[in-house]
Amino acid sequence: MTKLILSTGNIVSGGPSIIRKPGANRSNFEFTNSLRSSFQAAQQDYAVVEPALGGDALANGNGNGNGLHAAFAEDSRRAPVSLWTAQENDVLFVPRIDWSAAGLQEEPARYEITAKLFFLPTAPISNRVRYSTEALDLVLKELDVPGVDLLIVSFPGMSFDGDCEWEADKLNATQGSDEEEAATWLAIEELHRQGLAKRIGIAEFGSEKLARFLKMVQIPPSVDQINIKNCCNVPPPLVKLAKEQNIELLVHSDCTDILSRGTLRDLLGPRPQGAGVLGDPETGAGGLQGDLTPQWVVKYTAVVRDRGVIENKGYFASADLAEL
Amino acid sequence: MGLLAQGTALDWPDAKKQAHLVRAWGIKQLLEIWNKAKVKERDAMLWGDEVEYLVVTYSKDDPKVLLSLRQADILAALADDKSLSAKGGCVPELQGDPASRTNEPLPVFHPEFGRFMLEATPGKPWGIEFKELLGVEPNMKLRRCIAKDHMLPNEHPITLTTFPRIGSPGVFTDPYYPVSGSKLRSQFVPDEIANPHIRFPTLAANIRSRRERKVQVNVPVFKDENTPWPWKDPTVNYDLHQWPEDDDVRTGGAAPDNFIHMDAMAFGMGSCCLQITFQAKNIIEGRQMYDQLSPLGPILLALTAATPIYKGFLADTDVRWNQISKAVDDRTAEEMGEKPLRNDRWRIPKSRYASNSTYISTDPRLRPEYLDPNLVIDEDIKQQLLDGGMDDRLATHFAHLFIRDPIVIFNEDLQELDLNKTDHFENIQSTNWQHMRFKPPPADNSIGWRVEFRPMEIQITDFENAAFAVFMVLITRVILSFDLSFYIPIAKVDENMETAHRRDAVLERKFHFRKNVFPVRPPRGNSGTSTPNSISRPPTPPRGPVEDEFRPMSVNEIINGTAYALGPDVEVDHEDDFPGLIPLVESYLDSVNVDVVTRCELATYLDLIRKRASGELWTAAKWIRHFVANHPAYARDSVVSEEITKDLVGAVVAIGEKEQKGEGFRGLDKQAAPDLGKLLGGFRGTSRCC
Repeated sequence: MTKLILSTGNIVSGGPSIIRKPGANRSNFEFTNSLRSSFQAAQQDYAVVEPALGGDALANGNGNGNGLHAAFAEDSRRAPVSLWTAQENDVLFVPRIDWSAAGLQEEPARYEITAKLFFLPTAPISNRVRYSTEALDLVLKELDVPGVDLLIVSFPGMSFDGDCEWEADKLNATQGSDEEEAATWLAIEELHRQGLAKRIGIAEFGSEKLARFLKMVQIPPSVDQINIKNCCNVPPPLVKLAKEQNIELLVHSDCTDILSRGTLRDLLGPRPQGAGVLGDPETGAGGLQGDLTPQWVVKYTAVVRDRGVIENKGYFASADLAEL
Repeated sequence: MGLLAQGTALDWPDAKKQAHLVRAWGIKQLLEIWNKAKVKERDAMLWGDEVEYLVVTYSKDDPKVLLSLRQADILAALADDKSLSAKGGCVPELQGDPASRTNEPLPVFHPEFGRFMLEATPGKPWGIEFKELLGVEPNMKLRRCIAKDHMLPNEHPITLTTFPRIGSPGVFTDPYYPVSGSKLRSQFVPDEIANPHIRFPTLAANIRSRRERKVQVNVPVFKDENTPWPWKDPTVNYDLHQWPEDDDVRTGGAAPDNFIHMDAMAFGMGSCCLQITFQAKNIIEGRQMYDQLSPLGPILLALTAATPIYKGFLADTDVRWNQISKAVDDRTAEEMGEKPLRNDRWRIPKSRYASNSTYISTDPRLRPEYLDPNLVIDEDIKQQLLDGGMDDRLATHFAHLFIRDPIVIFNEDLQELDLNKTDHFENIQSTNWQHMRFKPPPADNSIGWRVEFRPMEIQITDFENAAFAVFMVLITRVILSFDLSFYIPIAKVDENMETAHRRDAVLERKFHFRKNVFPVRPPRGNSGTSTPNSISRPPTPPRGPVEDEFRPMSVNEIINGTAYALGPDVEVDHEDDFPGLIPLVESYLDSVNVDVVTRCELATYLDLIRKRASGELWTAAKWIRHFVANHPAYARDSVVSEEITKDLVGAVVAIGEKEQKGEGFRGLDKQAAPDLGKLLGGFRGTSRCC
């Protein structure tokens, strides 16, 4: 089993992938676009000028060099996968990460750092404890900080949908799995206890679901992040409950199903549309072969507190490759 | 407007003799503060807004609406009322958490040039916490309410940019004064129209004296069905023989056909603006903000257009800017290029009130081609600044500002140079009224480097004023976060500024705007071991012709993005797909933690701006034009009579009263303020929800 760690790097100064699609009030557009840009940028940066170097590169192909040569010839301006990715033990970093560039410009206390962890429906629930640690570790390493100010977890199968937020609240009450969410929360509470996350929160909990959740957990969430459309009508029961429990209601525009198998295959699949990390399952040509399963996605932002400037924002995602 | 110095103001011939000294001392003071403050770091984002009001007398039963000249009394009443306690229902409608604002310092009121004007600022600067942004609108309402409370019952603070009939024949001030005083020598307005503090009449008189004639503020008249053509301003008096300047209209060509003719500083400096000042974290960020906000100036001017009437006539332009520019234009005939240079040092293409002439950032994206190759600078002053250690670009900026003479000089200030002050520097700096101002810290270095955004027109309601103020704050955060570049050649910004004056420019005109505002991604550096041996691309991509970097765009496209402006069915080339300022702001807001209530309020502000840009809602200028056009007393001859003016001001007063009471604007449509829905849409209706 190989694990893939996908990363976007800092996307705030990375160009148009931060732009929201007109009309879309919720999407994974930013995430997928910035991953795509990240792959392309790495392919360009690690491309070698001398075609002869390509041979050397292939020699370090980490055992998955099958077909790389063809991909390389197809677009000589792009680096072969082995050059712009990095294999460390059983982890393949896509693209490779230059940790020497990690960190923020000023000391950590000057930032408000938020991480949002998306658990995905494709991944086993039993692994969520491990996922939380893995994801947060990467964020802390990337920003070179001892902890985050706010860690929000997003569970699969939850939404805040409907023409009117009242409806959304009703529908929400029936979604997800209270037991599984509460069980996962234990791991998040632990991160809080260890001082790795000053505040912890959840996403997309309506009033009923939130009320049930509060009864099941030791440390109540400080934040409930919800997706609201244009109207300012947050369901009053949710407003009331949040106020009573001192839970801050924050806005987001992410979709919960942020990385599906299909999207992941498209991103990593054969060129020219994909990054060429995965081979063509039909012909067996080019890149890795196997069944790819998204595990989690984490989004992080570092905002300079008293200036409101976003200095760093990016994503990591993890996927398991069951090799055939 | 800062504290008013006391002393003996020099008349022009004497002031002129001291101009060189003031400049020399001003540069020394600038170098002093620059040396002290150039290393300032990590200042917080603080910002402030300035709202200016006209004070009018209006009551339903009085057929006349007049400018009240009681500024001094009103300011005295405000100053005497130590607590400024909010009396008579002056409690602003609070948004968010009321407890958070109970200890807020009270607003501050300032005099302005016009004796019929007031300026009000918040009691302390705003921060960037998003909840704080929601405090702006209640605070603006509080300011207006406190101002009203210290006026007579028939006096009202209103936020029209100009009084429609200032300078019209007959009575337009309370109390009345005859025209043609010694300071302004205007045939339309009395000297008493200006703040009587010695600074203001001296400013006006010395500008007139320096240019050796009165200022000429000519605005093209709007040609309606029954407007005689060619149109000769019927209010110009050709038989006045009080002052030598009275010849201007007879022999000087001061009043050309088809133009509304005005002849005094009060016609320009009597306009109300909405100005926003931002504190930068350091000088580098300040210079970046100065440059990046500069190309936005004309766009926001067009979007806030509110000035379609002058001196009782409909104008063919929509904004105040050029009128102020002409009203304080102190250039001599030689400097303007009308006579060969003999006594003056150079020809100067722009008034001291004009759009920016320099970019000052250290950003490598600032290409030399963007700058004005013919920029006039004082080479000696630039050399002094360079010798003092300042870099070329910033030295050039100040050496450009310092081509101007100081206009008002107090004899008492010329005894000795005090490097613990910045008065001489400020004398030149603050009479360079460009559309951006780059402000060094004060002499005690107690606050940071600041940038003032000056082009916006004041809006009729506090809701709109808050919306534009907050929008600009968010835009600065977007620029800094996403490292955006709006650079186009300075000359194109000038052109845009002219374009912004055209009638309904917001919908009918296009503006030069940069196509790709995003930074070029830096290639991975050579710091780590994992970096490639060689990189296939040069570190900076080759740059094409500057002309390829921008194209004409509508305000709608600039504000809302190409996709929104053209609709979903139009395919756009990737290169021509401009994201839009509002989508950029939304992307920013998506990336920071904002609570639902705050986000909704911010969304309301963005909606107003979106709709103004798309034409779904009207600018104040358009609304006023419609008001006049549909008034039963309007004869389609471009004349805005006293009766129409009274009803227009009455509508504005009624809108203000509704807003103060928090009653929403609904209902006014049918009575006092027809078509108000076209101006304000459903915003701030009876319920707080959008």
